[in-house]
Amino acid sequence: MRGIVEMQLWQFALIYLLLLIVLTIMKKCHINQSKLLIIASVRMTVQLILAGLILTYIFENPHPLFVLLYLTIMIAFAVHRVLSQNKGINYRFKLAIGISLAASGLCVVAFFICIVIGESIFNPQYIVPISGMIMGNAMTGASLGVKTFRESFNGQTSKITALLNIGVTPQKILLPFVNQAIETALLPTLNSMLGMGIVALPGMMTGQILSGTLPTTAILYQIAIMIAVCAVVCLSVFGSLYLGYKTLYNTQNQIDFAALNKN
Amino acid sequence: MDTILSAKNLCFLEKITYPAIDIERGRATFICGESGCGKSTLLKIFNGTASPSQGEVTYNSISLASLNTVMLRREVLLIAQTVFLFDGTIEENFHQYYAFREQPLLSAIEMKRYLSLCCADFDLSMDCTTMSGGERQRVFIAICLSFLPKVVLLDEPTSALDEKTANQFFIGICHFCKQNNITLIVVSHDKSLIDRYADNKITLAAPKETII
Repeated sequence: MRGIVEMQLWQFALIYLLLLIVLTIMKKCHINQSKLLIIASVRMTVQLILAGLILTYIFENPHPLFVLLYLTIMIAFAVHRVLSQNKGINYRFKLAIGISLAASGLCVVAFFICIVIGESIFNPQYIVPISGMIMGNAMTGASLGVKTFRESFNGQTSKITALLNIGVTPQKILLPFVNQAIETALLPTLNSMLGMGIVALPGMMTGQILSGTLPTTAILYQIAIMIAVCAVVCLSVFGSLYLGYKTLYNTQNQIDFAALNKN
Repeated sequence: MDTILSAKNLCFLEKITYPAIDIERGRATFICGESGCGKSTLLKIFNGTASPSQGEVTYNSISLASLNTVMLRREVLLIAQTVFLFDGTIEENFHQYYAFREQPLLSAIEMKRYLSLCCADFDLSMDCTTMSGGERQRVFIAICLSFLPKVVLLDEPTSALDEKTANQFFIGICHFCKQNNITLIVVSHDKSLIDRYADNKITLAAPKETII
């Protein structure tokens, strides 16, 4: 094995030729998305150049402050994404989601880097890619879990009302919804674990192999990251919904049916 | 008069004000009034699923505010207008509701008895998803009655029934409640039903015009 071939810039530019093929086919088939294709390619290029420059700078000047700043921005962005995909939920539920996502993400990242890999949490070479993968998956999972819970809560008002009226506690009524949503949020991760290594080699493993890492080492990282993703999705959805569902009823055991549907 | 539920100076969301209300134990009280006058809301206040913004309700002379609302709802059971049945047979619905209440299940004979009491003489293996709205309503009421609450709050129970079935239904329910000393509170628009089955009648006044 040898390290990855450094691409020459002019050679790299050749890859953009492939876009011309896409453009030609779009024109021929009257797909009016050529503008979007160009904007998307330009945006991707600019955003990744910026990310490359920033990461290069951070790697050359590793400082705990940069790592903290990076983590804070990433977590804030993840929480913001989950909340913006689940508009209309009450303030305390939002708080529960924010705390759960941040706490479960940080704990799993810290365990992964400090204990499993045995590196410093402030080493940007590890914290940046690993926390990115973990928080990204936590975000998708939490979003799916909260969405599932919100939709079943809003859609099954008559069931909740009927059970409440015959004297069932709000906990007993709402917990099945919580459990169902956790299951739904976990399924994509479990399914991707099933297909791992057969259907496709995952991105991180591919990247490591390209850069010269032994496949046997690469699979250890891949297995570790998949388990970490599974745990973080489970923890963040569990935390969000177990803390969150308690905001839906008061001490009088009255359920606020508008709690997840506010404007 | 032996009062089981009593409301004083009741006001809901500053929009609906109620007169002083006393509900007599073991009798059938009918509540009527124009739509929007707060009939359904009054039932919700009685079983603690809604709280009045002012005033006090007492149940057996104890203020609702100091009672465990879940235990209260088991005694003062509200059967709302929109009913809910699980997908499955009638028997499975009994199972589900009894599991949620954490109570031992009735025998099949008992289930049949409650069904026929509510004019719902269907087979226990009948699928609830294919029933009509009125049939589902009666099956739901049968399940609720089988819990033997102390007070039954019925919100428009015969809205989906023809006159003949509605009468049969009320004859059965009123007789059953008298026998078991259950207090019945019914919201209804139907004047002929009120004349025939009400021991007491409460007419709520139309809501105050909102001043803009």
